[in-house]
Amino acid sequence: MYTLRLDFRARAIVSVGTVVLFAAIVVFSQSSREEPLPAGAGKDKAEDACLSCHEARIIVQQRLNKAAWTKEVDKMIKWGAEVDARDRDTLIDYFSANFSPDKPAFEAPRTVAARKEKAK
Amino acid sequence: MRSYRFLDLETPVEMLTDWITPVNHFFVRNHMFAPARIDAQAWKLTIKGEVEKPLTLSLAELTRMENHSVTNTLECAGNGRSLQNPKVPGVQWGLGAVGNARFSGPSLKSLLEKAGIKDTAKHVQFVGLDSVPGKVPPFVRSIPIEKALDRDTLVATHMNGAPLSMYHGYPARTITPGWVGSASCKWLTEITVLDKPAEGNFMNPGYRFPDTPGKPGEPVKPENTHSLTALTVKSLIAAPSHGAELHGDTHAIRGVAWAGEADIVKVEISTDGGSSWRDAQLGRNHAKYAWRQWSYRWKPIRSGSYVILSRATDSQGRVQPELAVWNPSGYLYNAYDEVRVYVHT
Repeated sequence: MYTLRLDFRARAIVSVGTVVLFAAIVVFSQSSREEPLPAGAGKDKAEDACLSCHEARIIVQQRLNKAAWTKEVDKMIKWGAEVDARDRDTLIDYFSANFSPDKPAFEAPRTVAARKEKAK
Repeated sequence: MRSYRFLDLETPVEMLTDWITPVNHFFVRNHMFAPARIDAQAWKLTIKGEVEKPLTLSLAELTRMENHSVTNTLECAGNGRSLQNPKVPGVQWGLGAVGNARFSGPSLKSLLEKAGIKDTAKHVQFVGLDSVPGKVPPFVRSIPIEKALDRDTLVATHMNGAPLSMYHGYPARTITPGWVGSASCKWLTEITVLDKPAEGNFMNPGYRFPDTPGKPGEPVKPENTHSLTALTVKSLIAAPSHGAELHGDTHAIRGVAWAGEADIVKVEISTDGGSSWRDAQLGRNHAKYAWRQWSYRWKPIRSGSYVILSRATDSQGRVQPELAVWNPSGYLYNAYDEVRVYVHT
């Protein structure tokens, strides 16, 4: 009986440990894999509307002016992004402010382009 | 790494020195979600549309057909997009969305002939098993019947001698050799012969190029564009790396060059920023749709920083330009490649 209890406790510890470890791996891999969106009005809306279909990296690597962002946002709404009519302009402003052509090029980790840009 | 969802993986150009790119170094371009899993037993390929007798083939039936191999340089139409100025939307590829592999499988022609092509056939449309989120238009494109009936256009089941990886379209994909990557469909499941080009976002406005170059940044009217077909003439420098410091007397400048359906006839190197050019030596490996390796032995006379450029010329007389044609989606970027290095003699 005693050994059985120990086994049970040991199993419980191991399984809790596994859950914690797994959660840590998930959190770690999410944070290291997926690019965060910058803070600002529109961030929450962008996360809700965009990130269910694709990751933020596809947004943060763009360098577009307001006209081009307007086109992209409207295209994505047509393609199923759920954006409240009141939030469309907030999103366009958020993207145009954070990912405009005058910002330095996005450095995709571990790519030649990033190293080329750095070496200039 | 350009994106995890959807998966878009670029090869560092330093790895593009071999004639055959290993599968695990070969770029990946997905527009949608890759299929979660493929059941090879249940997988079917349907051929329908403008044919006498629609067909459905199992993977076993497909692999029993006569095989044909084509060594093809596959390049994403948007390769180099990040270098367009002004910037354009889309995956911001550097220069590594390209690779050269040996693809094997039955000719598309043999499948179409099995089904019997009607006189009304004009285009052949491919549908893959990738899954589409929201109301995103499916990634469906078609190629003209003439290209579909070219013996080298394949329904490939193998890449570099091994069954296709999931990343590259297992269990079968089309290979439209010499053409932009989007003309080749991964995870193929349906072939439809049409009496006109396919419609939908990825035929129009997607994958179209201005008939005549306009001013950079200016919009192009849809009626002044055409669907992308063959790749253009292009070379890239795989070694030395951009920003490298070089020690010693002699250095090998190496890379690859390709031209879609045409042959590479010349690659020239400049080590003075474009004032003078010398011929590189072309590699021995050679196949109709495959890139050529090239190399140049360089003996710089003095220490200092250098700009190395490469430019290719093809059998159609096309020369890689100093500046690429700007276009709203950033397709077919093919300006001279350029690396800057510092030499210690």
